[in-house]
Amino acid sequence: MSRHIKPHRWADALAGRISDPERGTMQRHADGCASCARVRDRVGRASDTFPAIRDQSAPELSWDTLRARVHWSTSKERREKQGAQARRRIPVLAWAALAVTTAGGLALITGTALSPAAPVTSEVTPPIAPPVAAKAPPVAPPKALAGLINRIWRGEVLIDGVRLEDPFARRIVAGTVIATGEGRVDVQFGDASAFALGPHSTLDIRRFDAQIIELAVDGTIDIEVAPRAAGQRFVVLAGEHAIEVRGTQFRVSHEASTTTVACSHGLVAVRDRAQGSALVGAARSVQVATGAAIGDSRVVPLSVEELSTLAAATPMTLALWDLDTLATSSAPLEIAAAGKREVRVDGIELGLAPLQVRVMPGRHTVEATDAAGRYRRAGWVDVAAPSAGAKHARLDVAAEVVPGAGVSERRRQLRAGIDQAALARCTRSISKAGLTGTYLQVELSVDASGAVGFLNVIDTDLPSGPASCVREVLADVRFKTGAAANWREKLDL
Amino acid sequence: MLLRVKRETGGYDRATLDPADEADLIARCRADDRGAHDELYHRFRRQVAANLYRVLGDNTDLDDLAQEVFVIAFRGLEKFRGDARLSTWLYRICVNVALGRIRTRKRRPMAIGVADLDAAVFDPSLVERPEQPDRTMERRQDQARVYRALEQLAPKKRIVLYLHEIEGLDLKEIAYLVDSNPVTVRTRLFYARREFYRLIANEPIDGAAPAGRKDES
Repeated sequence: MSRHIKPHRWADALAGRISDPERGTMQRHADGCASCARVRDRVGRASDTFPAIRDQSAPELSWDTLRARVHWSTSKERREKQGAQARRRIPVLAWAALAVTTAGGLALITGTALSPAAPVTSEVTPPIAPPVAAKAPPVAPPKALAGLINRIWRGEVLIDGVRLEDPFARRIVAGTVIATGEGRVDVQFGDASAFALGPHSTLDIRRFDAQIIELAVDGTIDIEVAPRAAGQRFVVLAGEHAIEVRGTQFRVSHEASTTTVACSHGLVAVRDRAQGSALVGAARSVQVATGAAIGDSRVVPLSVEELSTLAAATPMTLALWDLDTLATSSAPLEIAAAGKREVRVDGIELGLAPLQVRVMPGRHTVEATDAAGRYRRAGWVDVAAPSAGAKHARLDVAAEVVPGAGVSERRRQLRAGIDQAALARCTRSISKAGLTGTYLQVELSVDASGAVGFLNVIDTDLPSGPASCVREVLADVRFKTGAAANWREKLDL
Repeated sequence: MLLRVKRETGGYDRATLDPADEADLIARCRADDRGAHDELYHRFRRQVAANLYRVLGDNTDLDDLAQEVFVIAFRGLEKFRGDARLSTWLYRICVNVALGRIRTRKRRPMAIGVADLDAAVFDPSLVERPEQPDRTMERRQDQARVYRALEQLAPKKRIVLYLHEIEGLDLKEIAYLVDSNPVTVRTRLFYARREFYRLIANEPIDGAAPAGRKDES
């Protein structure tokens, strides 16, 4: 073989797609041809990478955001389709109404009935006054409402299809569409009136004014509404069902096949397209299948667990609601924590971290639950008044130190390092007074270098003087380098 | 039967579906059950992202492309005839989305590089058989070279070559994925292979000049 071998033939040879004699001929040629040998090596190296490419995994993406975006796109299309269907129905109805009116007019003029079988009654519907005759005074449009986001839990929130840098600054008005990923979002729109949109849900705020609030939900929404003013309506549209309320707390879950309405307190009315209705009172729920009449569904009492779930899902409201004041005087606080840890701020339980919550400026105490579910102090954070370009306040809850070998070693070092003579001096005065069997409990943290991070007396029956003295004795203990530990120690004195 | 969907979990990542469960999932998706949509997303999200990543060779806008795949899938489930497994059908959408992507960036500078491959978070071959750092670097450079050559092919040729040479699919499978017939795929593959391996043969290695060889046969 005097001519060079084409590169793809080497690929065939490497993949075993050519016969052994031919491969042997090619190899012999390459042994005497530097150019072909180089090509063989290059093709071989490229072929060697194929299995590695085939086994490559995908890089981690922000899956929750992606899910929210997909959900947003698909639900938007669905909404548009439903809207188009509704619009198509309008001309049909208009033509039908026009035809009926024309026929009625002809019948009146000619004095004949349209159908000979139709009975002629003496009760004739009075003709509608022509529009030109009614010069109604111009009606002022109802005052528009707006809401503010108070809390965002563990996930993405898209507002009008966009993941905003600062959703807390955004005013929620009529026409806004909110979509959630894995998390939830709380929106307050009045004094003691708020809603919380659940995970993977979309909310279309169709009307939002002093006359009517109309929310179309696809997913789950928890609503708490203060009693409405006279003449003001609050309607939640869930597929073909409408839920109307006065003042209450309730949850609506709308899936493709069912709509569930659960009421915590107050009273809600659920209506279907056929104008059938059911009243759902406090601690009751009703589940209606899509297409089924509401009258076929039974209102059932909620279990204790369901009631506590509803209570836990109550949307967060801030006191002294005033939109403008709140927007300019409050700021978001972001709390992040590793693992599943409930947090509370200033004693108010807010749910699982990570979350963002609207707070007033100032210093706030943040607590997070430990493995046993007890709230422990996680730190405090200063929140400044909102200003343009300012970064949100954030607190990262430190990972919980799990007691282990490190703690037992540190505990041993503490016990061994206590100056017993000094300790005895601290309690001598009360011992002389005949007080024995006292104790002092401390919480302390020691880092890897042996430095004491904090040493707090958390419980004791000693008077303050001896307690401080004992604390000083403990503070004098020197620790060696080793594992970091955080534990509580009770000393019986 | 499938378990009820738990929205908050991503526990479907490693699950596989038998045909009956798959049909059930599709039926629920068609009935606009959001839970089923979630389940489909959680089951196939990593597969979709991996397919796109491997076809394209870089993760630029990977999340946008994955979104596009799922939106097309949810929109097109009504028309899904069930003549292939759901995973194959999704792979077909991935291929088409990737093809569109390749076409739009055809005239842009190549995106693949060692840095991109470094960004790959997990490579099983590294876990199973730890490599020396220089060998790892070499292998990444070889991969980058493969993607550089792929980048120079016409989009249709690139896809069939990738599916045949790297994924190891046969002509019939490729024909389904690219919505063509096996004869066309065979012709396209013939020219694609010739061009691709010629590019590989002439690619400079470690800064060396291209070989510039003309094959005579």
